[in-house]
Amino acid sequence: MSVNSVANPPPRVKVSNPWYKQAKIAPYLFVAPFFILFFTFFLFPGLSALLLSFFKWNGIGSPDWIGLRNFQRLLEDPVFWQAVSNTIIYMLASLFIVVPLSLVLASVLNSRSLKLKGLWRSSFFSPIVTSSVSIALVFSILYSRDYGLFNAFLGQLGLSHINWLGDGNWARVSIIFLIIWRWTGYTSIYFLAGMQTIATEYYEAAMIDGANATQQFLRITLPLLRPVILFVSILVTTGSLQIFEEPYILTRGGPANATLSVAQFLYSQGISNLKFGIGSAVGLFLFITIFSLSALQLRTFGIFRED
Amino acid sequence: METQLIRSSKPFPIRRVLSLIPLYLVATLGAFLTILPFLWMVLSAFKSNAEIFSYPPSIFPKTFNLDNFFKLFEMWPFGSWYINSILVSLISTITVLFFSTLAGFAFAKYDFKGRGIMFGILIASTMIPFQLILIPLFIQVSRMEMINTYAGLIVPFMAPAFGIFLMKQFMSSIPDELLDSARIDGCTEFGIYLNIIVPLIRPAMGTLAIITFLGSWNSFIWPLVILNSDSMMTLPIGLARLTENVPGKSRDFGVIMAAASLVSVPIILVFIAMQRQFISGILSGAVKG
Repeated sequence: MSVNSVANPPPRVKVSNPWYKQAKIAPYLFVAPFFILFFTFFLFPGLSALLLSFFKWNGIGSPDWIGLRNFQRLLEDPVFWQAVSNTIIYMLASLFIVVPLSLVLASVLNSRSLKLKGLWRSSFFSPIVTSSVSIALVFSILYSRDYGLFNAFLGQLGLSHINWLGDGNWARVSIIFLIIWRWTGYTSIYFLAGMQTIATEYYEAAMIDGANATQQFLRITLPLLRPVILFVSILVTTGSLQIFEEPYILTRGGPANATLSVAQFLYSQGISNLKFGIGSAVGLFLFITIFSLSALQLRTFGIFRED
Repeated sequence: METQLIRSSKPFPIRRVLSLIPLYLVATLGAFLTILPFLWMVLSAFKSNAEIFSYPPSIFPKTFNLDNFFKLFEMWPFGSWYINSILVSLISTITVLFFSTLAGFAFAKYDFKGRGIMFGILIASTMIPFQLILIPLFIQVSRMEMINTYAGLIVPFMAPAFGIFLMKQFMSSIPDELLDSARIDGCTEFGIYLNIIVPLIRPAMGTLAIITFLGSWNSFIWPLVILNSDSMMTLPIGLARLTENVPGKSRDFGVIMAAASLVSVPIILVFIAMQRQFISGILSGAVKG
């Protein structure tokens, strides 16, 4: 990305200008706050995370160098692997349920025949702006085994009640429902924007040729949206790898770690138990995973292109 | 022209009406499922505990009573949480706007030595997941004695790379002649920023403001890490606190729903009012064209 920015510099401030000196210093002053904060609160902590992961430290006394033992202990910890596999399940669910659903939602919202678009949009996008904690709390009541709305509904249909949050598998399903509910509207914003850039001439031509709505969707919309679909997929992947609030509030990671996420594992090890070294090792693991995916995202689509 | 085309391809109005049914079915079902939890939250806030834990659940409260809200303010420093959240979100938004526009201006309108590398660092920093730095940042912030303070919540995030990038994108289209003529009139560089750039960039600043305010208002993991006294908590942390087993305080679902409603409903209303800016903000950071 730095290559791009060099290739396309903004017009030079005139050197002959009597205010030359000021114009030369000013940009450095303007970007200084960012870099001061970046070094203090980002780069320095980031590098110490790298270092910390080779130490054993609980914040008291001096850290002990233990080499790769944190990583070794991490790899031998069944709870960590449980958290990894749960997080992968959340990621796959987001990819294969949220992304297709939001495509459908976006094409509904994009349809010319749909009236009152503002109203529909407001309702679909409202989960994004709501505090995830409030939402998780409401869902914990909806999921309640004996008094919850979901089980009451199942009861009405003559089905037996589900122990939503008490059974390991159902608890994961419950978290996945919450993820779907919360993120489908958000990702559909990107698809909607993508669809609005597709020229209507394509559809008009297709209609003249007698293509129906499904054919138009499969033959025109989907292929032209390919970059957006890939972008959203990676957005969803990196987002779901960092999932924290939903399992933290809804199940506290339980029952028996069945819903524990990697970010939650990091929090409980690093912050609650003050195992700074182990926590940093988990952070590094997450970083490497997410960085590889983000790098892929940048390479594939040039998301942060300057032009 | 358009209508002609539609008519010619679909000669029977009945078929056209029929084709609308799946469309509206999907939209209605989706919207209903989306809004249901919000409705449930607000309705439960007015129910007594006995009514919340009755089977089958009642949809509308038998009597709309405000007991849960009174209890919330009696049992918890909810007023302080609200004030904390408003102050932290407002100060964050103002500082983020200032530093983002300032640095965005430098990147958009000056050609200075090291610009390419600096911009590269800025972009690269957006790829670092927050969890990587969570623990060392916690150590750093406690070293600086900012644990359990507003400063600890605000200062580390005052100049976000995303905001700077966003502002830079919008500023690139401002013509350089405008800035040059101001320079000839004797305007200082900061004067140019204040008198020319800021007024022109105001709509984009609105977008960034909404995103920042919402992000700060709903922020959870960082405040959870550094706040440790009941009185300093922001709303999301306070909400989570309501669900913990605190000695002498019962977990009361009516009260929790009252609190959740007071946290979410104002924000949803603001969102509905400013939807357009919010969405354009989400998009401008990513997909373009």
